[in-house]
Amino acid sequence: MNALPKLKTGDLKANTSTLLKKIIRYKYFYLMLLPGLLYLFIFKYIPMYGIQLAFKKFMFNKGITGSPWVGLENFRYIFSEAEFWNAVKNTVIIAFMKIGLGFWISVVLAILISELRAPKFKKKLQVVYTFPHFLSWVIVSGIVINLLSNSGAINNLLSILGFERISPLTDKGIFRYLLIYSEVWKEAGWGTILYLAAITGIDPTLYEAATIDGANRWEKIKYITWPSIKGLVVVMLLLSIGQLMNAGFMQIFNMYNPTVYDVADIIDTYVYRITFERAPDFGVSTAVGMFKGVTNLILLLTADKVAKKMGHSGII
Amino acid sequence: MKKKFTKTDLVIGTLLTLFAIAILYPFYNSILVSLVPQDVYVKTPFMLFPKKITLSAYQFVFSSKSIMNGFLVTLFVTVAGVIYNMFLTVTTAYALTKDIPGKKLIMHLIIFTVYFGGGLIPYYLLIKNIGLMNNLWVMVLPIGFWPMYMIIVKTFFEELPEELEESAKIDGANDLVILFKIILPLSLPVLATFALYYGVERWNEWWHGMLFIQTASKQPLQLVLRNIVQSAGEMTQNLPAGQEKKVFAEGVKMASIIVTMFPVMCLFPFLQRYFVEGLTIGAVKS
Repeated sequence: MNALPKLKTGDLKANTSTLLKKIIRYKYFYLMLLPGLLYLFIFKYIPMYGIQLAFKKFMFNKGITGSPWVGLENFRYIFSEAEFWNAVKNTVIIAFMKIGLGFWISVVLAILISELRAPKFKKKLQVVYTFPHFLSWVIVSGIVINLLSNSGAINNLLSILGFERISPLTDKGIFRYLLIYSEVWKEAGWGTILYLAAITGIDPTLYEAATIDGANRWEKIKYITWPSIKGLVVVMLLLSIGQLMNAGFMQIFNMYNPTVYDVADIIDTYVYRITFERAPDFGVSTAVGMFKGVTNLILLLTADKVAKKMGHSGII
Repeated sequence: MKKKFTKTDLVIGTLLTLFAIAILYPFYNSILVSLVPQDVYVKTPFMLFPKKITLSAYQFVFSSKSIMNGFLVTLFVTVAGVIYNMFLTVTTAYALTKDIPGKKLIMHLIIFTVYFGGGLIPYYLLIKNIGLMNNLWVMVLPIGFWPMYMIIVKTFFEELPEELEESAKIDGANDLVILFKIILPLSLPVLATFALYYGVERWNEWWHGMLFIQTASKQPLQLVLRNIVQSAGEMTQNLPAGQEKKVFAEGVKMASIIVTMFPVMCLFPFLQRYFVEGLTIGAVKS
């Protein structure tokens, strides 16, 4: 009876000492980890601690910890705000429009590129296609706004051709399509890269065999190319659903204006405006931010589950 | 055996060329607007070739103090940022290649930050509390390393042959020497790729500048550009008499845009391959 606990303590001691030895052996590696972990702690984890503001009435002189708790007051307030619900609605609509219209352009573009038989030309095209991805939204919005302004090239072309001028920047009916257009212009080419990598990885003998069997181009795409990228397409689709609540802050922030708030204001732009352009209530702003963060996390976890159920490796 | 060039090939080629034109035309148009005098811009409804070229918008941009200042700030942010980003990426990745106790927990803590964050306000208060407000380092320090890049670099380190490290150890090299003399030189291509990604990102910085920098002379180039683009031509209003005819708001806006993206535009055709490789190794590894 006595021997047993002794043995256990001995074991534990042995374990702790080997663990300690291991830690000592790797001390330089812990030292090496320190800067990275310090960065994460300061810039990622401390802000998470600040989320408690969502349940507090923030007072500047009292700071985050000292401000008084108000329970769900902030949430009750935002849920009663029509402007908040408008932002949620716009976020979901714009995100779905981007998935519905923009997402597939990359898939189609990738298949078309893979079918192009001029390798040198193909490389040049891809340089062009992928370039805009590396520009900031400040630059892209500047270019697009000029192009589509009332005296811009597109409107002048339309009027020469006898059409009416359009004003997508201030027209509530088409502003969202302007967002899709600029998103496609900037990102569609870059979006093809992964699909193209997957297509390049397809065993060429499959195509050869299909040719011998008399399959035409379209049939080869349908029965070889598409099935081999389908899994990736599904994963990318789920990933973008996991990002649904983002909807593209940098883009909209640089392109929208008060005339189109009704159709373009998303959660992130709403948070920005209520925080920096009005008398700020940091508690309320944090609550909106938390609503978004938690919804995003739930969507992502769900999307990951779905991906795993479908037999993919999951997206997290 | 060369396959025959069919009608389908023609259709595919045409579609892809049209898409390329749709991407290139806005750039071309911006360059034109930046190069023509106002009267030509107003009188020519749809420009394909400029009738008259002037560099006055560029002269204006290059003589603008705020743009030159912004350029210097962005240069600092990019250089300091990339060094800082790479330092954190490499140290974290290398330490995590070892079988150190607590590694799993650390990995989880790192990955969790990708999917959840404190949001804008707690972040804003943090920056304020640690005294980074109106400080150039606010555009460097808060962007440390991206977990995805770090994980790819880590996988790359892990795949280097172990014998290299072991034989160096036998020769008496310590871990730091191994990292600098063996691991890093062998990983140069992968490190260069991520340095490029970080570099472009730092070059494009404006958001932290807008939130946290109040002094005009400390604003990064992209933020200066944003102010120019979003303003409705105030920039050219305070010009001495006679000059306002030469420079017009749209021309200056477009010239500023061209100048800002010029470095990326010049380097990109040569570096595109590396950017693409960076994304594809990343996808294969994860």
